[in-house]
Amino acid sequence: MPSNSLTATEQSFPKDRLQRLIDALRSRGYTVVGPRVDQDAIVYDELDSVEQLPRGWTDEQGPGHYRLKRRDDEALFGYVVGPHSWKKILFPPRETVLSAEKTDRGWQFIPRATDPRKFALLGVRACELAAIAVQDRVFMDGPHRNPLYAERRQNLFIIAVNCTQAASTCFCTSMNTGPRCRAGFDLALTEIETGFVCEIGSERGAEVLADCVPTAVDVEQSRAAETARQQAVDQIIRHMDTDGLREALLSRLTHPHWRDVGERCLSCTNCTMVCPTCFCSSVTEVRDLTHDRVDRDVVWDSCFNPDFSTMSSGPVRIDTAARYRQWLTHKLATWHDQFETSGCVGCGRCITWCPVGIDITAEVAALRESPAA
Amino acid sequence: MTTCTTTPQPPWHTHTVRITEIVTETDDVATYRLVPTDPTITTHFTPGQFNMLYLPGVGESAISMSGDPTQTDAWMHTIRAVGNVTRTLARMPVGETLGLRGPFGTGWPLNDLQGNDLVIVAGGLGLAPLRPLLYHVLHHRADFGRVCVIIGARTPVGLLYPVEYDNWRSHGLDVSLTVDRPAADWTGQVGVVTLLIDRLRLPRPEQTHLVMCGPEVMMKYAAISGRRLGITDDRTWVSLERNMQCAVGFCGHCQLGPAFLCKDGPVLRYDRIRPYLSVEAL
Amino acid sequence: MSFPDAALQSEFLRGIPPQVCAQLKALGQVRAFPPGCVIFAEGAIHTDFHLITEGHVRLDMLVPCRGHMAILTAGPGDVLAWSALVCQSVMTSTAVALEPVKAVTFPADALRQLCEQNHEIGYHVMRQLAAALSRRLVATRLQLLDLFDAPAKPRETPPIVGRPGDDEC
Repeated sequence: MPSNSLTATEQSFPKDRLQRLIDALRSRGYTVVGPRVDQDAIVYDELDSVEQLPRGWTDEQGPGHYRLKRRDDEALFGYVVGPHSWKKILFPPRETVLSAEKTDRGWQFIPRATDPRKFALLGVRACELAAIAVQDRVFMDGPHRNPLYAERRQNLFIIAVNCTQAASTCFCTSMNTGPRCRAGFDLALTEIETGFVCEIGSERGAEVLADCVPTAVDVEQSRAAETARQQAVDQIIRHMDTDGLREALLSRLTHPHWRDVGERCLSCTNCTMVCPTCFCSSVTEVRDLTHDRVDRDVVWDSCFNPDFSTMSSGPVRIDTAARYRQWLTHKLATWHDQFETSGCVGCGRCITWCPVGIDITAEVAALRESPAA
Repeated sequence: MTTCTTTPQPPWHTHTVRITEIVTETDDVATYRLVPTDPTITTHFTPGQFNMLYLPGVGESAISMSGDPTQTDAWMHTIRAVGNVTRTLARMPVGETLGLRGPFGTGWPLNDLQGNDLVIVAGGLGLAPLRPLLYHVLHHRADFGRVCVIIGARTPVGLLYPVEYDNWRSHGLDVSLTVDRPAADWTGQVGVVTLLIDRLRLPRPEQTHLVMCGPEVMMKYAAISGRRLGITDDRTWVSLERNMQCAVGFCGHCQLGPAFLCKDGPVLRYDRIRPYLSVEAL
Repeated sequence: MSFPDAALQSEFLRGIPPQVCAQLKALGQVRAFPPGCVIFAEGAIHTDFHLITEGHVRLDMLVPCRGHMAILTAGPGDVLAWSALVCQSVMTSTAVALEPVKAVTFPADALRQLCEQNHEIGYHVMRQLAAALSRRLVATRLQLLDLFDAPAKPRETPPIVGRPGDDEC
């Protein structure tokens, strides 16, 4: 697991050696997952070659808006974030957790306790490192531990990539999660014209990096990397006021603005699906034809689904306003009570992928504008 | 939030249990005795905790234990046939097997309650998760002062465990019953539990805890009655119900404000959850 | 007459200042009703107002074809026959002693006169009466909500398959 303290060592390697990094990881048994272009979006998928990376592509984002555009250079990581997040690897959208088998001695239950796969994530942004740390708290740091998540997390190799540009939807600086990768990685790359400046975050990272035959970082490279990273900082225009936000929201649970946003929200669940920290799930029964074998699958669910809160007496959150309130107050307020952190990392995905362009930062501002009830 | 008292275990670890006895309680309520097929498993739990009962192909349901916590060879669950799982269970005969995960959740705060007087208020099926506490009180009678048990139900036949009331009374528990809709032959009390709380005269209200399980609205007004008697919200305990699926705080379904009712509850101190209970559709 | 402790401990009298209470005590008389005794009948004029100190009293209302429907049980500390103070003494239910019942009984006319002559007393008596009735009203509302009723028809839960979450968005 990546160490949490940053070892200050920096090295560099030319662009054509990135393939060696992928090969080094693959030869050590890792499945490398990184950015690829698919269906007009940059998604995260398995890859074995740098040729599969989104070379020369960037993304243009706004509320309810996402378009891929050509860059005027050959940057491999010249985009921000797409609809996928790494939770699809660590906390898959569907996963069998238990199998039930009917035997002569009645039902027998076999939990799926292990996932030996080793994943290496290539291109993890600072906000995404923060999101992984948030889900670590959910699935590993409480009284109960999700053994499958924990095992994948234990085996995870993380190559972070510092943002060199920001989308109009980004607000990581408000959430104090980026854009600079500070901790939680094995290696962190900054892409510059001549190659990569690489920070080493773990011994494991240093060992893998050796395969790229890195060299010391010269002053020019160091300055170029700093300039590139600063460009991302300078481009961030969105802001969320997090000062006293938990109390501000919890004192406005009956605020009329919930109804206002409830009328715009389609309850489509997009925001929760693209959110890198949302962890809600349901269990579904998958039977074979004889009914003698049943798998229990955990599937992503969303607090926007009407049945999410349903009890025998009916659903608790009866309308979209109540469901939006649950999502927002959980994410930004009660998450602090539960996990001692905000549930929002400022990646802006929920803004981009909302079909009606609801903007979490604007909703927070609107709620804060009028006094508590 | 309240510290979780559940033994950490792999969250999906499911025991095979066999139905060895079914006691019909009311029209649609029965108590099931569930014995683990693995004899090395003991059925320890804290009164107020729940298990997840699993019917393969149908689903899981969170059900409180309703039996004697000192009994270590079986779990007792009193269940109303109301959802997919519980209605399927109601059709299953003695001898069938099913899955069980647990125990989960916080129980009644036995350490806080010890040495104090208790007002125990049960509404309808809410008596089920309180019965293990009553057994605990009977086993440790000297650890508790005056214990008043107020049981409300819709109708006289809806009163759970009537054969046990005399035993509870013989241990000095003050048991009162009341129903909303009396039958012609009912000679007991009529009206909701709040009226019975209003009539209590507590010798030492500052050393009295109010312990409740029943419909939320009932508990809300019972707490108001309790407060008038001098029982503050930090000595009032409620057991709450929400949609529970994973039982370990992973799935998000059972949230009420900051609480995951599966691991921070189902038993919560009232002053900590009251602000959230009063918000509609939270 | 020694005024029963149970009456003094009742919520009705506890909230009344001692000097007012002293005047009320002078009017009150302890009375006993045997089990089965009809203390008053629905629709009849009843000229006493009671504060129950022991035992329970069933209040019922007569419904054609259904008979006497019990609606409430009054017990120690409760007021009984409040209509004698505020509704021209026409009783709105029938009260039957379920067991030996003791009550402090106030002649309603005299009590009402006392309240009218001395508005200070009147204020306290009516405030306590309103508080007692509001508790009874809340209890009646809770009863009306039929909270223990099992859901008549459980909702059909649509299958999870097909919801977002099954596919990677």
